[in-house]
Amino acid sequence: MKLPRLIAITGERRAWALAAVILVQGLCALFFAADVAFDFTERGASGSAHLALEAVAAAALAAGTLFLMAELRRLLTRQEALRRGVMAARGEMAEVIDGFFDRWRLTPAERDVALMALKGLDNDAIAEVRGAAAGTVRAQCARVYAKAGVDSRAQLMSVFIEELLAEPLSRERGKA
Amino acid sequence: MSSMEIDEAGRESARQPQPDPALPARVIDVWDPLVRLIHWSLALAILLDGFVLEENLLHEWVGYAALGLVAVRLVWGVVGSAPARFSAFPPSPAAAFRHLRAILSGDRSAHLSHNPLGALMAYNLWLSVLAVCATGVMMTTTAWFGVEWVEEAHEAAFAWVMASVALHLIGVALDTRRTGVGLVRAMVDGRKSVPAGVRVE
Repeated sequence: MKLPRLIAITGERRAWALAAVILVQGLCALFFAADVAFDFTERGASGSAHLALEAVAAAALAAGTLFLMAELRRLLTRQEALRRGVMAARGEMAEVIDGFFDRWRLTPAERDVALMALKGLDNDAIAEVRGAAAGTVRAQCARVYAKAGVDSRAQLMSVFIEELLAEPLSRERGKA
Repeated sequence: MSSMEIDEAGRESARQPQPDPALPARVIDVWDPLVRLIHWSLALAILLDGFVLEENLLHEWVGYAALGLVAVRLVWGVVGSAPARFSAFPPSPAAAFRHLRAILSGDRSAHLSHNPLGALMAYNLWLSVLAVCATGVMMTTTAWFGVEWVEEAHEAAFAWVMASVALHLIGVALDTRRTGVGLVRAMVDGRKSVPAGVRVE
């Protein structure tokens, strides 16, 4: 478990460094953009070559900031996937499942039904355990699928199987 | 079947105030480093400009920095991490009202991003800081320099920011007590620790 932990820590550090650079560069971009706008209103088009150059520099800074923002978002997404992969590998699948249920905003009843569905119970069995009508369970299942963005029980399963395959982990390891 | 559904819905709302034993305690990553950096830098900038650098030369520069911080945050609200995006906390007075009613009826559920009331406060704070900055910038231009209503607007907008900050702090304290999720800690280390039995929306 040492390697993933190390990766997570360096990932965190990289995220901080990226955030700091984004902030400084964003402020600089705004400063230069404001400077260009101010000079333009002050002096009009005179010295336009200089102004144009400054405008290009400001635009490049802004574009760079946006690029770094996209990079930070990618990094955060990867870290999240990595963390889930490590948890799944450690046998903390229950927490991974809870994390997904939270994100999908399942109600307590839908959580119960979804968990039993994952454990392989069919609708009739779930209805019996919950003391509800099979139609109610069917409707709850449909709502769970809709919230999870899947079409079937098999696809719901595959969301979690994917975590166990730990794809991002092996990719990180290959890089490190 | 439809009567069953109503029955089910009724049961759900009836047990909502009680903690759900099926939910374990869990820690969720919420605020990314950029959100936290901007939050605390903006808080520092507001305090510095409002109380330390009132008549100082640096006042203008700290003001520009505050303007830039809000601008970067607004861009991050479009392209940023999921809980930081505006889509995670749309400004909705109706949702805020429903949330308030749910709180009053004993609902303890926590929110991954801002709760609907906190969302309104976030937008309010950003907009009023922008108003302070805009009137502040106007005071540096030849056209508006020394114009009385601009100065008054600058001070009124700042007073509104301070009132909002006070309300923001009260909201954070109350929500921390209601859900048991340490919101100050979440803005420091980025993680929300949700106690067992508390629902997350």
